[in-house]
Amino acid sequence: MKTIIVGIGNPVLSDDGVGLEIARRLAGRLAGRDDVDVVQMYGGGLRLMEALAGYQQAIVIDAIVTGGPPGTIHGSNPGTLWTGRHIHSTHDANLPMALDLGRAAGLSLPAEIRIWAVEAADVETVREGLSPMVEEAVPAVVERVVACFESACLERELEKP
Amino acid sequence: MKRISINPITRLEGHGKIEIFLDEAGNVANAYLQVPELRGFEQFCVGRPAEDMPIVTSRICGVCPEAHHMASVKALDQVFAADPPPAAKKIRELLYMAFFVTDHTTHFYALGGPDFIVGPDAPPAERNILGVIRKAGLEIGKQVIECRARNHHVIQMLGGRGIHPTAGLPGGWSKTVSEPERQEIQQAARQNVEFALFTLSLFESIVLKNSAYREMLGSEAYCHRTYSMGTVDARNCLNFYDGRIRVVDPEGRDFAVFPSSDYLGHIAEHVEPWTYLKFPFLKRIGWHGFRDGSDSGVYCATPLARLNVADRLATPRAQEFFERFYETCGSGKAGGRYRPVHHRLATHWARLIELLYAAERMLELASDAEVTSPEVRSIPREIAGEGIGSMEAPRGTLIHHYVTDREGRLRKVNLIVGTTHNHAAISMSIRKAAESLIRAGQVVEEGLLNRIEMAFRLYDPCLSCATHSLPGEMPLVVDIRSHEGERIRTLRRLP
Repeated sequence: MKTIIVGIGNPVLSDDGVGLEIARRLAGRLAGRDDVDVVQMYGGGLRLMEALAGYQQAIVIDAIVTGGPPGTIHGSNPGTLWTGRHIHSTHDANLPMALDLGRAAGLSLPAEIRIWAVEAADVETVREGLSPMVEEAVPAVVERVVACFESACLERELEKP
Repeated sequence: MKRISINPITRLEGHGKIEIFLDEAGNVANAYLQVPELRGFEQFCVGRPAEDMPIVTSRICGVCPEAHHMASVKALDQVFAADPPPAAKKIRELLYMAFFVTDHTTHFYALGGPDFIVGPDAPPAERNILGVIRKAGLEIGKQVIECRARNHHVIQMLGGRGIHPTAGLPGGWSKTVSEPERQEIQQAARQNVEFALFTLSLFESIVLKNSAYREMLGSEAYCHRTYSMGTVDARNCLNFYDGRIRVVDPEGRDFAVFPSSDYLGHIAEHVEPWTYLKFPFLKRIGWHGFRDGSDSGVYCATPLARLNVADRLATPRAQEFFERFYETCGSGKAGGRYRPVHHRLATHWARLIELLYAAERMLELASDAEVTSPEVRSIPREIAGEGIGSMEAPRGTLIHHYVTDREGRLRKVNLIVGTTHNHAAISMSIRKAAESLIRAGQVVEEGLLNRIEMAFRLYDPCLSCATHSLPGEMPLVVDIRSHEGERIRTLRRLP
């Protein structure tokens, strides 16, 4: 069982880069494990689907704008969130369509894809760095991803004969 | 005045909004594309070392980072007065052709093609890449995925990284190409040529043999007789990587040919109060509103415009299709060259001819032993302080202009991207599409959305480039407003 964690966003567009920052920190926390790869990406749709090929499980972390309080973490339950600023590409396909295409083309794609998204305050100013409230959400997402990742691993350990 | 606002459009890169203004009789008065402001791009760049720009600018768009990377390194060649050795130029162009093949392929199968292959009046849920494989076969889906994969691999091999290349340097390229790599790329290029030929034959069998589709291709609803812009080499053959910018008038006569360093002498930008996008126009003609004709400065820089400015294509198979294109679209010859085609839906066909050209050009470059030369860099020895790099991005001519201080720190940055050149024309096409379906206040709802989407999509607009912003998920929402601006109903379609 191999997992991919994808942080997705734009690193020079304020809070839009929150997924990348979370991925950067997760890469440090999960370094040395050979059952997980952490990558940063800049666009969704077909490219995201292609990145997930060959993994059994995927965690995708993105920024989102729903109008809620900045820093709100969306996606605490698996399968409840299926969107984000970059998960879909308006240039080629949304993620479900991309996954259908990939499977139809014979790619091996994860059965379980979990999406986390952090509510952004500013996605229109070109600058590096996050707004304070979004910055505060980063360690929380890191801990929750690590926890769910480890508990899933633990469950698998317990399942072993 | 009644206002119909469509916000935003499906399958359009970047955040866009369409406003349709009706006159008092309920007919279309004007149609515009609105985009949100992106704050501070130039300020973000000013003060940075100029050599950061190939990486920084490739971040502004998730779709065409390769184009920004290349235009940026070309501008840096001038900033640092270092002309790259021939091998470096060839490696850059080789990577760029692999990118072009991927981008044009994706556009056709995922965005533009479904309107034709699945049909313009099919439900929106079917007019997508899955609809294409249902209609034309699963094998096509596999081929599209394989085409993307092999070209992404080539881009990674040559560029140092898969999505955002890092190998471009002022005066050249940071990586050499080994002989086994060259052979692998050559093999990928051969497959690209086969795939491009297959795609063109698919287009011909589905579109050209269907009289309704052929009629649509030549439809007046999508016709604008504007000037055309594109890059050509010394023999007036289309070139994506380098050359002079050529502009021909609506009849195909030369209007201007200039090096990109003279762009400010030829292009000016019109500003409207309702959008942050600028509308470039031909300075010598002037801005006379959103209209076509030889007395309007509106021009286009699209795959169709590029074929219109080229006397011919430099590769053999693409040249065959180039001739077939103009013979079929029936514009005739004048002054020894084909007269321009102005029916904008033909842009989809033009894009596929470009796909074949890019694949053939990639094969030529990959077959050239010089790409394995170790001489890939001229070392910069001075700071000239200004550079203008241009090339053809998939969506039109891309210009990067930098001014630096004596230390090479940026003082001024100006970018004109492909979508921006076409912004006026896109608005005109939306207006024409809307005019055909809104009469005396009567709105043909689903037809309206489809026709406007088709008008947009043929330009392959990339608003993240144009606004330097990035996209999210975009449902299609139409607000219909009364003449007082009050919203009276909303039509909605999710992506």
